[in-house]
Amino acid sequence: MTFTLFLEQAFNGFQAGITLFLIAAGLTLILGIMDFVFLAHGSQVMIGAYAAASLTALTQNFYLGILFAIPISFFAGYALEYLVIRHLYKRDHMEQVLATFGLILFFNEAIRVGFGPAALHSNLPASLSGFVYILPEIPYPEFRLLVILVGFACAIGIHLLVSRTRLGATVRAGASNAAMTAALGVNITRLRRLVFAIGACFAGVAGMMLGPLTSVEPGMGEPLLILSLVVIIIGGIGSVRGAFIAAIIVGMVDTMGRVMLPVILRSFMEQASADGAGPALASMMVYILMAVVLVFKPTGLFPPNR
Amino acid sequence: MTRFFSLIGRGLLQHRAMMYLLVGFALFPLYTGFADLPFWNDVAIRIMLLGMAAMGLNLVLGYGGMVSFGHAAFFGIGAYCVGISSYYDIFNGWIHIGFSLVTCGLMGVIIGLLSLRTSGIYFIMITLAFAQMLFFGFVSLETFGGDDGMSIDRAEFGLIDLYEPLRLYFLVWAALVIVSLLLMFIVHSRFGVTLRAIKSNESRVEAMGLTPLKFKITAYVISAMICGLAGTLFASWQEYVSPDIMHWTRSGELMIIIILGGLGTLAGPLLGAIAFLLLEEFLPELIQAIAPDYAENWMIVFGPILIAIVMFGRGGLLGLLIKLFQRKGAS
Repeated sequence: MTFTLFLEQAFNGFQAGITLFLIAAGLTLILGIMDFVFLAHGSQVMIGAYAAASLTALTQNFYLGILFAIPISFFAGYALEYLVIRHLYKRDHMEQVLATFGLILFFNEAIRVGFGPAALHSNLPASLSGFVYILPEIPYPEFRLLVILVGFACAIGIHLLVSRTRLGATVRAGASNAAMTAALGVNITRLRRLVFAIGACFAGVAGMMLGPLTSVEPGMGEPLLILSLVVIIIGGIGSVRGAFIAAIIVGMVDTMGRVMLPVILRSFMEQASADGAGPALASMMVYILMAVVLVFKPTGLFPPNR
Repeated sequence: MTRFFSLIGRGLLQHRAMMYLLVGFALFPLYTGFADLPFWNDVAIRIMLLGMAAMGLNLVLGYGGMVSFGHAAFFGIGAYCVGISSYYDIFNGWIHIGFSLVTCGLMGVIIGLLSLRTSGIYFIMITLAFAQMLFFGFVSLETFGGDDGMSIDRAEFGLIDLYEPLRLYFLVWAALVIVSLLLMFIVHSRFGVTLRAIKSNESRVEAMGLTPLKFKITAYVISAMICGLAGTLFASWQEYVSPDIMHWTRSGELMIIIILGGLGTLAGPLLGAIAFLLLEEFLPELIQAIAPDYAENWMIVFGPILIAIVMFGRGGLLGLLIKLFQRKGAS
């Protein structure tokens, strides 16, 4: 384990974490404020990724593709809330699980019909495919660094939105007592739709940034959805700050675990059994982390003040 | 012992629908034999096994009100018990079943104790996350086939050769009957009544001096073991096991089956399994007839059907049947 590899993986972990945060931020508000189990949030990631990849191919310009894909993600979330979700708020959790599960099946298949089952490739523009020297002698891909910066900017944006604006104040008020907030003249229906659309928008941005790093394919959202659920549980449902910290922890643990764990195990186990147990343990690490957090704090690390 | 039989007897009277279904499954091979449709025996086996798993889940979901979104994990553990035993040259089916019941029971205690500390959305997410943890664990266990899974031989049950036609069918049927009687007994016992009381008002049960957690964890473990048994038989039937068997979509499937048939009823899950698998069998053919190019994409219709079931289908198929026949206590 060299220092170079370690630093590179730490950056990758941070990048994975910050992308997870973009997905989890909207979802934690949907789960926390609306008490709504929304499993199709992964589909929003997929929609964003597909919008960006296909528009990039159409316009032959990566930046234009992203620029047009953001409003598409926003309106996808807005329309979904209007068409389906708003009819489900009053239903119990299990019915919400099943209905949004049906949405996932629908979106995955719709994308398969529209774009074919194969993965789309979105090539990076030449201006972003170079390397940056984060330390002398240690190069790091430019695009990944950009992802970190964009993610960080979005995180600050979300923080300011929730803690400094009128919209954010009503969102927080709605979180602690929806009925009272509505009685004070806040349009809860509109508020919910906006939270949904903004959440979808950030999930879409995460998809756009993951597109060139991973593959853009049907069903790409589900593993991300489940990881972001883990993030939300660790951070505390409804807490944006908790989601941020938990996302960074999960991203780091997942990325570093995959690289370091086999090395650590090899130091005190036989080579063969370490090679067998290492990957298995590494892929279970974040869930074990979640279980440990739950044992000590069943409502997550930073439960929102109720 | 007399109490046991009187409970079962009362249960049988109250659950006519369940009895009709079980008798129907016993007679079904006669039909497939005369009509020469051996393929449908396999469909019936899948219906019975998925129905059995759903019945297990229904104990926590329908009767206990705990929305577990990770029961596919127990189904998968049951299946892997066959795979792992076969890997170590143990082919005795009774040992497979014992191994599976013990493992699923233990995993049920561990996962149950950790998840039941929470409730509501947390519980749903945590059960899902544990299932994913096991899924990824099996994906990366190269010894047992990893991602590709492993093919296995059907288990040996002493004198019963599962490769003979219909032997497996009736083994599965017998297991289904035992599970049905067991659940009938549980639901009508004092334990079952308490479980339903916890569902409707937990703090009231606590105020009466009972410990809800004890009842919840027991129900969770029993349901895990039933799912495990179904998975064990499923693996023996499929002669193959891979992590896909415990994919999180299967947990969703089991929930759909319950909702489709009727939540918190005994016959509901079995009825739901029939409807679900027939839908899975015929929907592609239906789409083939209308739009031949899109037969593979039947999920695009299935998703909205699911949403419609949730939105409009209160009470499930069993509720519908009861409404149709209006016979009191036919659940």
